[in-house]
Amino acid sequence: MSAVTATIPEDVMKTVQAKPTLREEGVKLGFRLTLPAQILVLFIAVFPLLMQLYISLTDWSPLSGLGWWSAWSLWNNFANYTDLAADARFWSALKRTATVMIVCVPAEFLLGLALATLFADEFPGKRIFYSILLMPMMVVPAVAGYMFFMLFQSGGPVNDILSALSGFPVTIAWLSDPTLALVAVMLADIWQWTPLMFLILLAGLVGVPGDQIKAATLLGANPWQRFVTIVLPKMKTIIIIALAIRVIENFKIFDTLYIMTGGGPGVATETISVYIYKLTTQDLIWGYVAAIALAILIVLSIAAVFAMKRMARAREVPA
Amino acid sequence: MKRSVPFEIFRYTAILAAIAVILVPILWTVSMAFKPIGEWSATGTDLTWWPKDPTLSNFRLVFGESTNNLIVALDRTALKPILSSLLSASFGTAIAMSAGTAAAYGLSRFGSGQNLPLALIQLRLFPPMAVMTPVMIMWAFLNFTDSWWGLSLIYGIVTLPFAFWLMKTFFDDMPREIEEAALVEGCSRLRVFTRITLPMMRAPLASAALFVFILNWSDYLIALLLTTREWVTVPVYMASLSSSMTGQLYGAKAALGLIAAVPPVIMGIAIQRHLVRGLTFGALKQ
Repeated sequence: MSAVTATIPEDVMKTVQAKPTLREEGVKLGFRLTLPAQILVLFIAVFPLLMQLYISLTDWSPLSGLGWWSAWSLWNNFANYTDLAADARFWSALKRTATVMIVCVPAEFLLGLALATLFADEFPGKRIFYSILLMPMMVVPAVAGYMFFMLFQSGGPVNDILSALSGFPVTIAWLSDPTLALVAVMLADIWQWTPLMFLILLAGLVGVPGDQIKAATLLGANPWQRFVTIVLPKMKTIIIIALAIRVIENFKIFDTLYIMTGGGPGVATETISVYIYKLTTQDLIWGYVAAIALAILIVLSIAAVFAMKRMARAREVPA
Repeated sequence: MKRSVPFEIFRYTAILAAIAVILVPILWTVSMAFKPIGEWSATGTDLTWWPKDPTLSNFRLVFGESTNNLIVALDRTALKPILSSLLSASFGTAIAMSAGTAAAYGLSRFGSGQNLPLALIQLRLFPPMAVMTPVMIMWAFLNFTDSWWGLSLIYGIVTLPFAFWLMKTFFDDMPREIEEAALVEGCSRLRVFTRITLPMMRAPLASAALFVFILNWSDYLIALLLTTREWVTVPVYMASLSSSMTGQLYGAKAALGLIAAVPPVIMGIAIQRHLVRGLTFGALKQ
């Protein structure tokens, strides 16, 4: 009897003690584990942001002979921001970035969706076709830029193919024509990123429950009706995510484009990233660059908050 | 489901057409890489799809061996850029993976660092160009410019979101029963993480690391801004391959492009199962 009463409280004591310590231990460990990532994010987000804000209010440049910390002596009364509002080259670069996005993202989406639909069920050769289709998105963007630079030479293979198809010798100087250069750049972007759309949309398509499609078939729905009334609504979230990813990445377009055209001819393919790059490395007006960068960051952050709210709402609705 | 013959014909035609479009740039680059200098810039009627006279001289040229039919010898070889790419991409991957995995575990199991997911997505949201000025100033101040460790650090930070999100979805999916069993046996939380969870996650860790490595290896812009001469990476070096005597070194660029393109393509095909998760920040579980 006494042995039993002696052991039970001891066991109870142990669990009572063990539970809080285990939880405390977890909290402590969790904190420690996230610490390196927190530091890295702070290092790259908070400090640079403050520095950028500070520099953006001045005329500071690496050529000014001053350390960035004494940039305050070049204070310019928000001139960078007023200049930005009147900077025609900035606005046309922004417009061009938007044009590229408006053409490329829907094209990539539709092509990707079409391909994903073809891959939704099993058929011989599926795996190998699938692997080949994914190749472009794994090609280093700079290398892809160089590939398309070669393809669009006036004596290059694209013109060769066009000549063969049309029967006339075609010698279009793609990359030195202002309009065609932009077309060439967009084609390269579509080539490289349609596979990503295909991949994401296929993952979503496979997740659509088959029994509902079967039920709809029994009720006499044709493939198009099944697609519009069942498949598309089920894929809503995934479509939003795929589009969001491409919109974000397409806005940053730089590597491929810069290697193909360097932003030229003139400024015909100068997007926001290329414009900032040129200001940073050629004009070296870093105060102004900081102002542009901050303006973009603020606009993007607001857009992101809006988009995320909408996405959260879209997910709440049972698909 | 029974399929109709016309649909199958349509399916294969459409897929083969897409594959033809996808393969043209790749095959052209492959063929360029094996063409001797005389066929590089052949145009019009001289344009050949396959090298008439296949040669390895382009590869020899980028590695510094001057060959008979090439007048130029480059002032430096591709060896150092390849080393630079390998070092910075590998160490960048190591930084992103260790910080990302730890943080993902912390958040997935203990709920610490709730602010991280959003902060890390925002890190990816901004054009790198827009945040690089302060980074360039900081790197110059820290004496990190034009060094592989400087590149590694920024690569580690830039790819941290992917490492974090991938590992978080993997940890969320992992059943906790085994960990709980070990805790009952008296293991400490840290010991459970290092001795039980991590070894079990070997395969996901490997694919996440490969994924992050591909991203680092693919970078052009950051290396362009942060390296000048000593530690330029392969893409930057490739873009600089042209000389006043020969103009564009088409064949040499193609050869180097091939060298740069092959590792990610192979790795990418090896981890294609995890690609969707990685690229969508795990927002979508495949």
